[in-house]
Amino acid sequence: MIEVRDLTKRFGGLWALRDVSFSVAQGEILGVIGPNGAGKSTLINVMTGYTRPTSGRVAIGGRDVTGLRPWVIAHDRVARTFQIVKPFRGLTVRENVAIGAMHGNERDRSVRDALATADQLLELVGIAEHADAAPSQLSVADARRLELAKALASRPRLLLVDEVMAGLRHQEIEAAVELIHRLRDVGITIVAVEHVMKAIVSISDRVLVLHHGSILAIGTPREVLSDRRVIEAYLGHRYAQRGEA
Amino acid sequence: MNAEALSAILQGRHRTWSQVAADWARSRTRANSWPALALVALFAAMLGLQQVIEPGTQRLLSAVFMFVALAQAWNIIGGYTGYASFGQVVFFGLGAYTAAVLMNNFHVSFWLALPVAILGGALFACLIGLPLLRLRGHYFAIATLGAAEGVREVINNMTPITGGGLGITIPTFGEDAPTPYFGKPGFYLAFLILAVASVALSATLARSRFGYAMVAVHEDEDAAGAVGINTTVVKVIAFALSAAIVSCAGAFYAFQQIEFYPTDVFDASFTVLMVIMVVIGGSGSVAGPLVGAVGLELLSQFLRINLGAYNQLIFGAIIVVVVVFFPQGVVNFFRDAWRTRRLSVLDNIRRYRL
Amino acid sequence: MSQFLQAAAYGIVQGGVLALVAVGFSLVWGVMNVINLSHGAFAVAGAYLAWQLNLHLGLDPFVAIPIVAVALFGAGYVIQRGVINLVINAPIFLTLLLTFGLGLVILNSLQLVFTADDRTIDTTYASESFAIGTVNIPYGRLAAFVLALVITFALAAVMTRTRLGHAIGATGMDRGAARLMGIRARHIYAVTFGIAAGLAGVAGTMIATVGSFNPTTTPGQLTLDAFVISVLGGLGNMYGALVGGLVLGIAESLGGLLLTGTWVNAIAMAVLIVTLIIRPSGLIGKAQYSGRVEV
Repeated sequence: MIEVRDLTKRFGGLWALRDVSFSVAQGEILGVIGPNGAGKSTLINVMTGYTRPTSGRVAIGGRDVTGLRPWVIAHDRVARTFQIVKPFRGLTVRENVAIGAMHGNERDRSVRDALATADQLLELVGIAEHADAAPSQLSVADARRLELAKALASRPRLLLVDEVMAGLRHQEIEAAVELIHRLRDVGITIVAVEHVMKAIVSISDRVLVLHHGSILAIGTPREVLSDRRVIEAYLGHRYAQRGEA
Repeated sequence: MNAEALSAILQGRHRTWSQVAADWARSRTRANSWPALALVALFAAMLGLQQVIEPGTQRLLSAVFMFVALAQAWNIIGGYTGYASFGQVVFFGLGAYTAAVLMNNFHVSFWLALPVAILGGALFACLIGLPLLRLRGHYFAIATLGAAEGVREVINNMTPITGGGLGITIPTFGEDAPTPYFGKPGFYLAFLILAVASVALSATLARSRFGYAMVAVHEDEDAAGAVGINTTVVKVIAFALSAAIVSCAGAFYAFQQIEFYPTDVFDASFTVLMVIMVVIGGSGSVAGPLVGAVGLELLSQFLRINLGAYNQLIFGAIIVVVVVFFPQGVVNFFRDAWRTRRLSVLDNIRRYRL
Repeated sequence: MSQFLQAAAYGIVQGGVLALVAVGFSLVWGVMNVINLSHGAFAVAGAYLAWQLNLHLGLDPFVAIPIVAVALFGAGYVIQRGVINLVINAPIFLTLLLTFGLGLVILNSLQLVFTADDRTIDTTYASESFAIGTVNIPYGRLAAFVLALVITFALAAVMTRTRLGHAIGATGMDRGAARLMGIRARHIYAVTFGIAAGLAGVAGTMIATVGSFNPTTTPGQLTLDAFVISVLGGLGNMYGALVGGLVLGIAESLGGLLLTGTWVNAIAMAVLIVTLIIRPSGLIGKAQYSGRVEV
């Protein structure tokens, strides 16, 4: 589904991404973790056309999409959420989602259909009761759900979620994890960037750890969590030693 | 929700256009057809009114109709799409000169010159829109202002074709006239149709997929791109649609004026009037520019006739007062006041102050 | 050749005056993200004040400059504090409209009092000139040019060396943070606008001395020139304004020599637009407020 080869992005002297290569299979959930500034959001931005890579290639579904504009990639049925939620403020929650449903590749042909789709998706993510509210009236958790519903409205086959669980409470995280599993079950490939370690472990088939723009480790959650370098990067040197003792 | 239902949503609806059309026809009810009916009624009323008013009043009202169209046009790019053009008059001037040059130099009928002017305006909008619409905020405003000033100077200096600063005259009498002059009743009708058409276009756009795309671009271009909206195309088409209406108005205006100068039809105050009418009424809506254009044009005609020397001073003061006290426009102000059951101008001042 | 040199010399001295018009405009734009369409009106108001002082009190325009500057500073301060601050957070076309409306009020008031006639301040020295080789340089324009240089450098020093300058700069970069540091943003904005108005007034006085002015065509032309210069020089960049002013002055002067009609204006607009597209931070160096490219 995804082939990333030697992806590199430099901002001046800073290496946001450095020779990053990995692939994701159809129907897989790949978790991406890493400390702040590790390059997680840059990775999503490069893959979805928001940032041009310095070098390297990205292929999605066998097609090279490196350097294409965001909407061109979106038309390949790739959807994303933003770490800082980006609702269309002047519209209602329902209309926000409907916009996604009326402009993607598998779009609804009328505004009415798109609004109906939006209602179904709001039901799915659990904010149907706020359909007529303004996005600014939503709680942090609900705003993230809206972000997810907007992405789903374009009927993606590949979904890239950027910290969709940040700031959520325990039960809310469980609901989000369950939702992501269900999306995988209907055939959507998912790349989930997360800060919440526990969440990533429970949803991912494989986990990719970024550190200073490079891949530190990639593998099953169990493999990655027992990797000494990962523990060092995350918890510091002393914890790594204690783990061995 | 079970997996099949979820899967069904995410598969998308695969309906044919005829199904969509049939659905639309069935959904027409009295409740959602009233704006269209109101517009038809308004059109009929204005036709009726024409029968009972003096030619001078017809002339005054045709100016009102023209500004309704101009305000709706500005609202498409400045209101819906959020790109505040301060050079929209460039299309007015180009439309006027296209019509006048074709009629005067090449003896072309107005009815051929008009579509050429409209298409020319839209094409020019695409041409300058591609680079300019990459700029945002003030930078876009200035660049469009600069484009308008620059084009005026070009027209001003192409004396052999445009007559330059000496102006241009459209032949309207006898054998020379490519199209007989419309007269006041004719222009009343022409501008009325233009106004009604532009309101109808604006209302149709507002509820269309393209309308939602414009609003999405206005609110957040990154998020719009993420859901598959080609933001460049949306911006350029919105700009060209707006330009087409303005060029059309310019062509009619040129014919109505018969004789004019570059400084008349490239007058930056046309742009300012479009902007202020939209702002006074309320941008991003259909009713806002309509109310703003009618209200402000009637008011400024009144000031011009009754207060002579003071009219510009008072006009300036009105702009200041409106911007400070009704920054969201009077239509939105009263709509909000109706919803919340309170009239508070003070809330308005608190909204944007430092 | 001598014709060419003469035009260049004239362009340089003219450019200095234009720079003085643009410095304040650029400052306001850079610090508060407001495009002040009434800037030309303030310049013309200053010109009328100096003209009146000269007419009735026999005051030399160069002597009148401090009075004009202080009067315009006060007017600018009050207008920013009382009116523009009220909508400073509104969408950009609202502040554009507001300043356009303010300009209309100022100019039409002036026109009602003084009529729309062309005015000029008569001095004994304005039309006198001295020659360097074959190039004639009028004393009045040279004095205006030197004054423009001095004021630009003085303003740059104020901005970089004084507490007030730092406060203005900080507010321009991040108003929220500046307020947390105890800077009174309302006052700082008003002072900034006051400085801009004062400088415009001084520039207007110079224009009235070396040429003529009226309330109908002069203000729009000055505002447009200020636009072009600010874009060329980079927003909020004092030296940029100076360089932009000189470039525009020379270009207009040479353009007038080489091109017929008003083609030079069309070219100026083309340069403006191309600059905006390919180098929005200005032609020279880096704009001090390049981060302010926002909606």
